[in-house]
Amino acid sequence: MAPKSGRLYAKGVFTGFKRGLRNQHENTALLKVDGCAGQEDARWYIGKRCVYVYKAKNKTSVPNSKEKSQLRCIWGKVTRPHGNAGSVRAKFRRNLPPQAMGCRVRIMLYPSRI
Amino acid sequence: MAKNKNKGKPRNYALDSGVYRFSASKMFHKKAIHKFLKKTVAKKPADKKPVFVEKKIKGDKNGGTRMVRVKKLTNNVPTMDLKKKNTTRKSVFSKHSRKLRPSLTPGVVVIILAGVHKGKRVVVLKQLETGLLLITGPLKLNGCPLRRINQRYLLATKTSINVSGVKVPETINDKYFARVKSDNKVKKDGNIFENKKEDYKPSEQRKADQASVDKQVLEAIKKHPQGAALKSYFKAGFGLNKGEYPHKMIF
Repeated sequence: MAPKSGRLYAKGVFTGFKRGLRNQHENTALLKVDGCAGQEDARWYIGKRCVYVYKAKNKTSVPNSKEKSQLRCIWGKVTRPHGNAGSVRAKFRRNLPPQAMGCRVRIMLYPSRI
Repeated sequence: MAKNKNKGKPRNYALDSGVYRFSASKMFHKKAIHKFLKKTVAKKPADKKPVFVEKKIKGDKNGGTRMVRVKKLTNNVPTMDLKKKNTTRKSVFSKHSRKLRPSLTPGVVVIILAGVHKGKRVVVLKQLETGLLLITGPLKLNGCPLRRINQRYLLATKTSINVSGVKVPETINDKYFARVKSDNKVKKDGNIFENKKEDYKPSEQRKADQASVDKQVLEAIKKHPQGAALKSYFKAGFGLNKGEYPHKMIF
């Protein structure tokens, strides 16, 4: 049978919220995707779902599993490119917590357009 | 006959108040209309329609039937107005147009991006009526059975196998894959909250279909110029490694 597969998501970092110099809008997050250099590259990721995965102290239930786990996640999706250097805007179901800045966000490969 | 002194004079006349002197029934007698009426045919007795009808009802120990009035009584008003079903709705799911991404033709090797079988490389067989794609591992190579998947969770590769010779039985359609509803009619004395979920076990029908379709697919793989390499290709899973960026990759 097939061995456990590898990574099925692109790695990204949550760099901050959409903002002007003195005001920020927390409903839209900015993500820097690994290896993504320009708007052309960033367009590939539009529509893809993304997750911020983190750990918490208390165990909560996991869907389709009886065991509870400390892992939690916030789901969202990439909405549009941001700027000229390959960043991307994303909206999450609940706004990302500021402690996630600089932390890993996973950008899944689905919904696929290839 | 005696000479009619009143000939020419009207039989009925209006009084000062405007009302006429003689009523319709009096006039009937005065004019002797009974002499001029044609004989009516006796009414045929109408076909007796049943007042009550026996109708079957579901459930145990309730007699099985009820006597229901054919014509509802006028005082029989429902307590709540039933929501009218919109029969003129234009877009019904069954009539939606199903689109297929041009890269996902039958025979294409595809990577599953989500679900239990994520990362596996599988073969697309055909598109079903609801628009979902039918795929197979083949089971022996990567443990993925005949399955339905949405196009959005598939990453098409440039590799494809010639499956024109593979005949998928007509019985394998959306109904085939529909979830079987468990009968929970018999309420046991045991705890209602007990989890009665049974592990899924493929039926004999499924196993047989899987074997027959896979046999054909495996043959098609063998015939492929890179057949031997393809087998190990199917067995291995897909994963991104360091330096591999999906937006730069051609799959």
